[in-house]
Amino acid sequence: MPTVTLDGRPCEARVGETILEVARRNGVWIPTLCHHPALEPYASCRLCLVEIDRGGWGQVVTSCNYPVRRDLTVGVEAERPRRARQGVMRLLLARCPESAELRQLAGRMGVDSTPYPKVTEAQRNCVLCGLCVRVCAERIGASAIALAGRGVARAVATPFRLPSEDCLGCGACAAVCPVGTIVVREHPGEVEISPFKSRVKVRTCARCGAPRAGEGAIRALIRRGGVVIEEILAREDLCPRCRRTRLALDLASSGTRARADGEGGEVP
Amino acid sequence: MTLAAVRWGSAQELEEYRRNLRARRDPRARRVRVCIGTGCAAKGSLRVLERFRAAAAELEGGSVVGVRCTGCHGFCERGPIVVVDPGNIFYPGVKEEDVPEIWRETAVGGRVVERLLYRDGKEAPPARTPEEIPFYRHQNRVVLSLNGVIDPTDIDDYIAEGGYAGLAKALTMEPDRIIEEITRSGLRGRGGGGFPTGRKWRSARDAPGEPKYTIANGDEGDPGAFMDRSLMEGTPHAVLEGMIIGSYAIGSTHGYIYVRNEYPLAVKHLSMAIAQARERGLLGENILGSGHRFDIRINRGAGAFVCGESTALMASLEGKVGEPRAKYIHTVESGLHGKPSCLNNVETWANVPAIILRGADWFASLGTARSKGTKIFSLVGKVRNTGLVEVPMGMSLRRIIFELGGGIRDGKAFKAVQTGGPSGGCIPAEHLDEPVDFDRLTELGSMMGSGGMIVMDEDTCLVNVAKYFLGFLKEESCGKCTPCREGIAQMLEILTRITKGEGREGDVERLEELGAILSDASLCALGTSAANPVRSTIRYFRAEYDAHIRQRRCPAKECKGLFRYAIDPQACKACGICKKRCPVSAISGERKVPHVIDPEKCTLCGACYEACPLDAVRKV
Repeated sequence: MPTVTLDGRPCEARVGETILEVARRNGVWIPTLCHHPALEPYASCRLCLVEIDRGGWGQVVTSCNYPVRRDLTVGVEAERPRRARQGVMRLLLARCPESAELRQLAGRMGVDSTPYPKVTEAQRNCVLCGLCVRVCAERIGASAIALAGRGVARAVATPFRLPSEDCLGCGACAAVCPVGTIVVREHPGEVEISPFKSRVKVRTCARCGAPRAGEGAIRALIRRGGVVIEEILAREDLCPRCRRTRLALDLASSGTRARADGEGGEVP
Repeated sequence: MTLAAVRWGSAQELEEYRRNLRARRDPRARRVRVCIGTGCAAKGSLRVLERFRAAAAELEGGSVVGVRCTGCHGFCERGPIVVVDPGNIFYPGVKEEDVPEIWRETAVGGRVVERLLYRDGKEAPPARTPEEIPFYRHQNRVVLSLNGVIDPTDIDDYIAEGGYAGLAKALTMEPDRIIEEITRSGLRGRGGGGFPTGRKWRSARDAPGEPKYTIANGDEGDPGAFMDRSLMEGTPHAVLEGMIIGSYAIGSTHGYIYVRNEYPLAVKHLSMAIAQARERGLLGENILGSGHRFDIRINRGAGAFVCGESTALMASLEGKVGEPRAKYIHTVESGLHGKPSCLNNVETWANVPAIILRGADWFASLGTARSKGTKIFSLVGKVRNTGLVEVPMGMSLRRIIFELGGGIRDGKAFKAVQTGGPSGGCIPAEHLDEPVDFDRLTELGSMMGSGGMIVMDEDTCLVNVAKYFLGFLKEESCGKCTPCREGIAQMLEILTRITKGEGREGDVERLEELGAILSDASLCALGTSAANPVRSTIRYFRAEYDAHIRQRRCPAKECKGLFRYAIDPQACKACGICKKRCPVSAISGERKVPHVIDPEKCTLCGACYEACPLDAVRKV
């Protein structure tokens, strides 16, 4: 079992783990933006830089995707990686000066302002971490959005910047967005994934009218789960909350009391 | 002349074919060689070739003079180039109307047309052969030795000159022995990184996983560089031969050549070469009866500069967006499709056959202690002779620029040379005697890169040069990682301000700080080396930055607004052309009285400067 020494503190690690995983497990904080444990590392934000000792010289690497293969001596708070991380953060602050989330993270990294002017256009503070794109492709399997354009023109976009037909309206992209660029907007019978203008019809609860699930998500669910899912969905037209209410009413009228697991049953 | 195409089942059959081929070819045959490389073709060499072919067809009873198209001679500036055998008579800048004379006198008559020969300057004696031309005399052509000699579309030409003999020899060797030989030769990657090729092959051989991929990187994208293009166009079989040897050494069955689509002739010649090699049994199953199986296909790149980076190139080969990824696990272990992949530049591959054939010791005898062999440079910019030069490693920059390149144009003074493409640095005059060597160029703050060499004279503003390269890199950055995307844009913003005369105290320090972030934090080599042009110009030409920032003055008088135009009263003959051209009526003056520019009205557009037939308008 290799040992990863983080700022002088030896930590046990498994072969194939990343430096970041070892650090997190051992309570060592390394800032990240583009990392999510459910997704493949991407190493684009460059905020998780650390320095590894290569025997006489130090190499600055991204901890989120550097695999541990043998013993490693890692500098997290050392001068060089800290300066590099802070430098990257200052560049991001110049891009998205209005982002409260980014400013908060910057503060935790010891960066309170940026000396640089705004030279690149960011759509609603987008830091181009790519989490939304990756979650849509890797976890949802929809690939409704992608990174379009090159260099400073890079942006998260739907094909041809038209409302996407592949969007399930699941909102996973909004959930992983670290800076609140992506927002799920609810409209009557529809959800909109903003800023992509993708709109998806939503099935509503037959009782209270609250949104239940997007049509796209239901289609995807049926595609994966088959006939069973289709039948269940056809039988059920209430939202979870109304289902519980109905159950409570059913139980009350039948004179039984609820069991701890929520199902009806006789109480002796 | 040609023998029936055959498939060679063994090295002996290939050798026998070569012997027959040579026996049928008369070394004293009359032949006209016309360069059809991209440079010459752009200057009309295809029509010249047609004229020669027409002339040959007119000759009664079948021509005794052959007409052959060849690849690039490297002296593209003087194209179209026509060489006549025997005698290797070299005619540069051949026009269509010169064809009858060359045909009648030299090709048929064996006499030299003196007026069409090359002269190194007006008074210099005419040079009959390339050996008499300084541009060629000091070169040592190994990789380019057959460029301009053979017809790149005919495998027999390559065979007759000893082609595929290196492969035949390699197939008799143990793969480990081949890798040892390459390691011992000291060959290092010609694409820019300078990684020891033998070590790369060793790792690729030892890496577990099937299939293994052999990849040639022909995605040459540096502004002003065209070494790889000329090589692929002129001697495509050398690249293939090197790749086949490499595939045998590392145990690979699949090969790719990644060429940019802007190189249509390279794609065409490589495609023809691959088809011919397949037909002759040099690609495919059981190559030359050795049991080795290997085939190559061509992938055309869409022109993104970043696709020259190995991981981005492999992503592009996979059909994905050409973006780099981390190389903490090397591509020799997990590259294309997650399999072991051995990627080398086309020039590296083209070096391999000669090393196998002539031995590691021969190769190691060329060059410096840690940079062996020869290197092709694309010598461009303000030198008198521009083109491709192949010289042994270790030759001084001074010799390359002044002996081969013939010095600076128009009698101007040398200022700097930029090596290594957009990510390289600018080297000033005080380091001209440094040898071209991977490590030495890196120490100087530049790099070998793929071999671009841009010479700049006293009229070049180095701040402007840095701005140009940063502008290029801003366009070509893929935008994946923060420092490269945001940092280059920030640096460019500062440089643009400085060249507009809006520089501030502390700008240079800020550029240095951004350069440090880029080199430490970027994902791939495009970002880590992007600041090199800025850092090296600050290192060697700091005073020029200061003049822009503090005095609002461009010492080279290139940055508009940071110098004024004035009329030299001695030179002005009061012709009035400038007065007529000036769009804001800033120039006044009567007949026979030297004109004057009113600096208050002048918008610094430069129209008068361009217009003056007497060069009386000066930049001050």
